[in-house]
Amino acid sequence: MAATAERALGRATSRGGERTLGISALLALGVSAVLSLVVAPPDAVQGEVQRIMYVHVPAAWLAYLSFFVVFVASIAYLRTKKTRWDRVAAASAEIGVLFTALAIVLGMLWGKPVWGTWWTWDPRLTTTAVLLLIYVSYLAIRRITDNPSRRARWAAVVGIVGFIDVPIVHLSVVWWRSLHQGSTVFRLGGPEIEGTMLLALLVGVAAFTVTYAYLMTLRLRVGRLEERAAREALSPLIGAER
Amino acid sequence: MAPNLGYVIAAYLVTAIALGGYTLRLFARARSAKRRARRIAGRRRGGV
Repeated sequence: MAATAERALGRATSRGGERTLGISALLALGVSAVLSLVVAPPDAVQGEVQRIMYVHVPAAWLAYLSFFVVFVASIAYLRTKKTRWDRVAAASAEIGVLFTALAIVLGMLWGKPVWGTWWTWDPRLTTTAVLLLIYVSYLAIRRITDNPSRRARWAAVVGIVGFIDVPIVHLSVVWWRSLHQGSTVFRLGGPEIEGTMLLALLVGVAAFTVTYAYLMTLRLRVGRLEERAAREALSPLIGAER
Repeated sequence: MAPNLGYVIAAYLVTAIALGGYTLRLFARARSAKRRARRIAGRRRGGV
């Protein structure tokens, strides 16, 4: 399975694969914008402002996906000690931080007109803020040491332990009394959302997922290039030590 | 203009700026890493 994942990663990270993903992401985001801003009807209660859902929910879902990839790649690194898994985890964590911060900001823009406040210490909002802090710390830990294997090991442990917060964030609206609305799509008895709105939401999630895949290929290339630059800079020193 | 439309416009603008800005930042990082590696390799070949 790991070999299949590595082969798929190799194909996607080729320059041709990167370009195809970039064009697909742009097209998917365009279709998603038309569906959510033009085709989907305004909400019966909230009106136009509910359209923020079509970017807020995909951003939150992609944050979960990014951190799940960090979790899996961290386990793979600790088992195989292959640098490429550490590179995948680092790339996904950075993109996950972007999506988490985006989900928080979009939630604030939705919360102000609907709840009357930009921020409240509600369980969902608080656990999401903690999630952001965990993965910002993950990125900070990667800068503490210059030793690549020690850095990868420490980061992998944080990447695995930190993932515990993801199910807590998701279930916070079930476990505690929350101002944030509960699950609309994945709930017992089926989705509680009008057909066109559901379509716009699912297309939004798909578009953000393709965008995530594109950003991953780009970020992995940056990781490889930065490692090569660091190796070039260190190689005369390594030669001198010999 | 529909009430609260400003929040919707702001939300989509923030999304576009975040995703577009990060993509451009990655391109800039790739370019600078490539240039750095090439400069160091060139300096070594020049015997500096």
